[in-house]
Amino acid sequence: MASRVSLKAKGKRKAGKGSKPAAPEDGSAGGLAKEWSTWAMKKAKVLAHYGFIPLVILVGMNSEPKPQLYQLLSPV
Amino acid sequence: MGSSASLAAAPPPPVAPPPALPAGLAQVLPQKAEEKGNGKGAPEKVDWLDLPCPVPYEELQREALMSLKPELFEGLRFDFMKMLNQRFALSHSVFMGSMEVPSQSSDIIKVPSSHYEFGANFLDPKLMLIGRVLTDGRMNARVKCDLTDNLALKIHAQLTNEPHFSQGMFQFDYKGKDYRSQFQIGNNAFYGANYIQSVSPHLSFGGEIFWIGHQRKSGIGFAARYNTDKMVVTAQVASTGIVGLSYVQKISEKVSLASDFMYNQMSRDVSSTFGYDYILRQCRLRGKIDTNGVVGALLEERLNMGVTLLLSAEVDHVKKDYKFGFGLTVGE
Repeated sequence: MASRVSLKAKGKRKAGKGSKPAAPEDGSAGGLAKEWSTWAMKKAKVLAHYGFIPLVILVGMNSEPKPQLYQLLSPV
Repeated sequence: MGSSASLAAAPPPPVAPPPALPAGLAQVLPQKAEEKGNGKGAPEKVDWLDLPCPVPYEELQREALMSLKPELFEGLRFDFMKMLNQRFALSHSVFMGSMEVPSQSSDIIKVPSSHYEFGANFLDPKLMLIGRVLTDGRMNARVKCDLTDNLALKIHAQLTNEPHFSQGMFQFDYKGKDYRSQFQIGNNAFYGANYIQSVSPHLSFGGEIFWIGHQRKSGIGFAARYNTDKMVVTAQVASTGIVGLSYVQKISEKVSLASDFMYNQMSRDVSSTFGYDYILRQCRLRGKIDTNGVVGALLEERLNMGVTLLLSAEVDHVKKDYKFGFGLTVGE
């Protein structure tokens, strides 16, 4: 019993470092969906955090009339 | 709640008789009669099937909030907005001053802080993207997208590097002929909906419900708004025990006065605010005085083309807290 518990704890620690989530203990569909959705939300949050402002700049630089690249950096 | 029933029986909608001019006068001066009918002089017949669309539910008290809750700050503020084309702009903002830390005791704890904020705005009639990022990694994002003529999607997110401190909210707005409805989904399992309907050319009623999943709390609220060209009266009641009333009177094109009353039944807290708003050619001055002993004012003066000076002051006589700020805004 004790060895099974310790193996499971080791497995969870290894999986918790940002890789895909492991299956829950009883393998239920609801628990699996919840773990995957939590993982997806975490990835979406990081994506939005780093990618939103570059997205706005990309959309803005491609709008008409197209601004030049130097205008992005110069204060004039 | 009893008070919501009394609000529902608020002033009956005005019914106006059609204008009657003697036949001779109408033939001699036909244009003047038309002008009088369309202007504020003669009352018009109300078309009950063609009422105007009401303001969005969250902007119910917008005139009162603009006058009574200006963005007062403490310290130095410098904003620079650079337009790359008429839709796309970058903004740089520097702030150096004290931020108040909420404390348990009645002492005020202020922590000196400074930050630089970079922002990018894209404003299109159909799509609006606003992003702001601070030096400590906090990001503020707003998206507004018109999916169809009547349906709009709004997203507001505040993301931080610290875990469990980020917030996000999705809002779906539907605009009907004389009503507006909104459905909100937020993090921490927050669900909300609100609806506002015009019942006369000047009066509109609305209600909202929300449910917070994690704390198993729910609430319901009602609101009413009566506005004419010269004044706006709003009333809001919520099941969280908050009653709010506001009244804004436009004295002239340049001057408007506002007052606000709030009663919190849970904490037995009553407060009232009176304020003024002067919109002059070169400056905008807003001031307010509170029953909590707070006096505040904000001056925005246009010095030159594109350069605006900001002076902010907030004096809390009861807690002996004095906050003064100055700033400059360059760019549109």
